[in-house]
Amino acid sequence: MNSLRSVLWLASTLSLATLAQDKVNPEARVQEDFRKRVMDYVALHKTARSEGKGLKPTQSQAEIARYQRLLAHRIRERREHTGQGAIFTPEITAEFRRLTGIALQGSAGTRVQKSLNHAEPVRLPRLKVNDGYPEGAPLQSTPPSFLANLPQLPPEVEYRVAGHDLVLRDVDANLIVDLIPNLVP
Amino acid sequence: MKRWILFFLFASLGGAADLDLKLPLKPKSVRFAVIGDSGTGHAGQFQLAELMAKYREAVGFDFVLMLGDNIYGGKTPSDFKRKFEDPYSKLLNDGVKFYASLGNHDDPNERLYKPFNMDGKRYYTFTRANATFLALDSTYMDPTQLDWVTQQLKQSNSTWKICYFHHPLYTHARFHGPDVDLRKLLEPVLIQNGVRVVFSGHEHVYERLRPQHGIDYFVLGNAGELRPHNLRPSNETALGFDTDQAFQLVEISGDQLYFQTISRSGKTVDQGTLDAGKKPPPETVAPVVQRFNEGGGVVESTPVVRRVPIDHVPIRQRESSAGIQPPQKRNAM
Repeated sequence: MNSLRSVLWLASTLSLATLAQDKVNPEARVQEDFRKRVMDYVALHKTARSEGKGLKPTQSQAEIARYQRLLAHRIRERREHTGQGAIFTPEITAEFRRLTGIALQGSAGTRVQKSLNHAEPVRLPRLKVNDGYPEGAPLQSTPPSFLANLPQLPPEVEYRVAGHDLVLRDVDANLIVDLIPNLVP
Repeated sequence: MKRWILFFLFASLGGAADLDLKLPLKPKSVRFAVIGDSGTGHAGQFQLAELMAKYREAVGFDFVLMLGDNIYGGKTPSDFKRKFEDPYSKLLNDGVKFYASLGNHDDPNERLYKPFNMDGKRYYTFTRANATFLALDSTYMDPTQLDWVTQQLKQSNSTWKICYFHHPLYTHARFHGPDVDLRKLLEPVLIQNGVRVVFSGHEHVYERLRPQHGIDYFVLGNAGELRPHNLRPSNETALGFDTDQAFQLVEISGDQLYFQTISRSGKTVDQGTLDAGKKPPPETVAPVVQRFNEGGGVVESTPVVRRVPIDHVPIRQRESSAGIQPPQKRNAM
């Protein structure tokens, strides 16, 4: 009986501790979930990349374009059933809205907003996950303070502000991995 | 035979007779050219490139810094040909190296295009004699890049630490204005680590700023694009030029950096010397330079915008007479 009580006590203590941990740092948990999803994507990207010949600097722009097209094609095949929200889940989106809100507060926020305006805000057709970032359209610069406030990314992907949206973009494949509409006012 | 002797012979034979050369061309000096926002494929870019090739014969610069927006609009192989390979063919054939930085109109995959000498990297560094150059990606200045900049600058013992990137930290062109957020994060790193000169583009004008916290800033975004009459100089402006395309020649010899900015029509619109051994003059000292009106008359001595008389044949008219196709329509420049 005593041992049963002990087990129950231990179980309740552990679950309370877990609950308390969740309450203490729910943002860290969400950010960890985001990191994991991004790393899963990067693993997929690397597999797709390893299937073809890698690309070293070349004299031929045609070769670079072909490499980009092929890589995008292989990634799309693997993500055929992946839609918007696979990485930016509702929970992660809420966390990004919170982080963006912090970045846009006070005098730093004014600076970031000025910087966003300075960076030639782009008006693009509606962006879709697994589409290429529109060819020839400028890549709007992303203010450093804004970037510093978001979770860091591996080199295979980057954040890009596109109008009011935040895009997660595959750098080599020029592919829209996921996006949060209307993140930036 | 040493290269500088060849240049001396060339100049004395009259090969550079029609050029307005202001650089001292000292032996063993580092010589380069600077262009920004060049990749339009317009006639203006071609004409400026032709002039650069002529100056190259006299000056012997062996590399060119590109300040971003190297290829506007489409990124097909024919775009690269029309907006880079064709205009600079003479320089490329002569072995001149182009070191590109990325602008907002560039695809980061341009880092893989060998003639841009980026070695597959979005930001990189190289050294020539006593000058270290850092090409930065100001479109995406994330914490990783900022750390890298700090490390590279700390490691460098060069007399001249020169950074170049697309978005200007200071400018008085009114289309965009300075990138104040980039300035807030990047400028302290540059100041603390002894950067002496910064080149940027993005604004389609030429502007030299008075030294800011010990750094001389140049905006050179008019090697292809041009935004006429866009400068609204302030007390921070040392000199501006906003009525024609331009490129800059730079020569570094020991503690001296000589610069000469040349317009498409061949006029020297700015020139000067920076001294690494001397602190730049305080920001409040008014420069003694002249302002010109459209007709070439002197308006006042300061602040300074050079609006030298130019041939006002519209660029599109020049394009059609030269048989050059205008670029694709785009959202913004």
